[in-house]
Amino acid sequence: MPRSELSTDYAALVRDARIHGSLYRDPAIFERELEAIWSRVWVYIGHESEVPKPGDYVRRQIGLQPVLMIRGDDGGVRVLFNRCRHRGNLVCNRDRGTAATLKCPYHGWTYATSGALLEPSFEEGYDSNLRREDFALSAAPRLGFHRGLVFASASPAGPSLDQHLGQVKEYLDLFMDVSPTGEIDLRTGIQKLKYRGNWKFLPENSLEGDYHGPFIHRIAFELHGRRSGLDMSSLYQNDIPDVIRALPGGHMVEDYRGATMAPPRHPPSPARRAYVEMMERRYGAEKARQLLSTIPPLVYVFPNLICIMTHLRRVQPVSVGETHVYYHPMLLKGAPPEVNEARLREHEFGFGPAGLISPDDIEIMERNQIGVRACADDWQFIGRGLHRDKILPDGGATGYTMDECHLRGMWQHYARLMNQRDAAAPAS
Amino acid sequence: MEGVSKELVEGFLYREARLMDENRYREWLALWTDDGRYWVPCNDDDIDPAREVSIIYDDRERLEQRIDRLLSGSVLAQEPKPRMRRVISNVEIEAVGGMELIVHSNFILALARGEMQQIWAGRTIHNLRREQDTFRIAHKKVLLINADQEMPLLQFLI
Repeated sequence: MPRSELSTDYAALVRDARIHGSLYRDPAIFERELEAIWSRVWVYIGHESEVPKPGDYVRRQIGLQPVLMIRGDDGGVRVLFNRCRHRGNLVCNRDRGTAATLKCPYHGWTYATSGALLEPSFEEGYDSNLRREDFALSAAPRLGFHRGLVFASASPAGPSLDQHLGQVKEYLDLFMDVSPTGEIDLRTGIQKLKYRGNWKFLPENSLEGDYHGPFIHRIAFELHGRRSGLDMSSLYQNDIPDVIRALPGGHMVEDYRGATMAPPRHPPSPARRAYVEMMERRYGAEKARQLLSTIPPLVYVFPNLICIMTHLRRVQPVSVGETHVYYHPMLLKGAPPEVNEARLREHEFGFGPAGLISPDDIEIMERNQIGVRACADDWQFIGRGLHRDKILPDGGATGYTMDECHLRGMWQHYARLMNQRDAAAPAS
Repeated sequence: MEGVSKELVEGFLYREARLMDENRYREWLALWTDDGRYWVPCNDDDIDPAREVSIIYDDRERLEQRIDRLLSGSVLAQEPKPRMRRVISNVEIEAVGGMELIVHSNFILALARGEMQQIWAGRTIHNLRREQDTFRIAHKKVLLINADQEMPLLQFLI
């Protein structure tokens, strides 16, 4: 029995507001996560706009398993395991590109963009009873789409993508509805970053800027306000109810619809005015005003997608103490080019290895990984707002801006998944 | 350009390198023109910054913000400050008309901070504008060899 199958009771490591430090540093727990989470749940792979033409592909992972997201000659987007059916070599070594066919460099087995085996090389040496259909590149057992976002699951069984996303769809939609066509473009390059810390620090940190913001981002927020003319201070107040949300399924949201920002001090550019008019035409004046009156919700889709302001962010575990982060800036299809260019500049201000905001978070996570090596009292405390959580009928909860109820929701979901013993049973 | 020796150009690059190595932010900022552009492309050397993301794409205002933040003392990745030394080499001057010249060079930067050491390497393309007996940086493009790889934080001058 592998060590990861030892009878750890994860409910004992995730109490109401206490999280055990081993969850960040124990390699056996990481192994268990690969089986119980990454190999079972819906994992965000990418966005259809990243592979616009037949043959376009990008390399991604489901947990540690290499996959390709590829658009086939039939126009359909698929997620295929990047492993030759002959001897297991990586079929495609490039990070992104366009291919008419996929040819394994080892012995030349060649596949169509659909994954179908075209020809095993030197075919005359194989038993003529072998069927090519049995040697197609393996597709992810389940594939699902939401507004161009591509999700895949390495498990054939489990809840549908629709069930998995549930209420978080509404927030993903709000995030993408700042596009005047409703469509987004993620073919914008990828900032790639690595940190020496556990993957779970990233969702925990990414969706609680309100609490740590005044401590580690104060200067960056001041500089940002000076340049953009936006006063975001209203967002970082302590007393706004229902901002922080835990959704069923382990998803987390910061919903700023109740926290309207003051209008920008700078007058809008002609491109910005044109954009606002496009938004009004698409959504009507009232909804357009609401969408543009504050920042879009911050969204975490369990386990690996984070949407923040300018971009979609993928979380990629490497080992228990190493994580890769991919920042995909989001452009708005149909918006004036100046508006999209301004989004890129806004993104670079905050994010990526040389940004002025998120690097402080990354440094914090590396220090966090060192901190939790001290295990005299091996518990984190995520109790802010515990006494006043508003529990919703669907099992979710909401809290005040700086509360930690969303983290508690994520961890409860995590413990449930980790405790499911039967690998064949559907994940919930 | 009249009266521009390779030695003069190299001297300028070495001085810039020393200011970056020693975290002398204000003096480094003073090397720039008011319309300067500091560019570190992401993923590929040649990208379109109007529709593709960069690692750094600073105009003068953003550059000042970057420096203000570094000087604020609140940058966690600068606490403690990294110790850095870089070598500038393979300097090639591309003659252009007017008061600007284009200079290509390679760098290797060694960085030590806390328990870690890092090596950064790349090619830099400076557009230098002649000003009396020295230059100002009108454009600086840094082509990192790891621009398409997962990289650690870049919270220093490169």
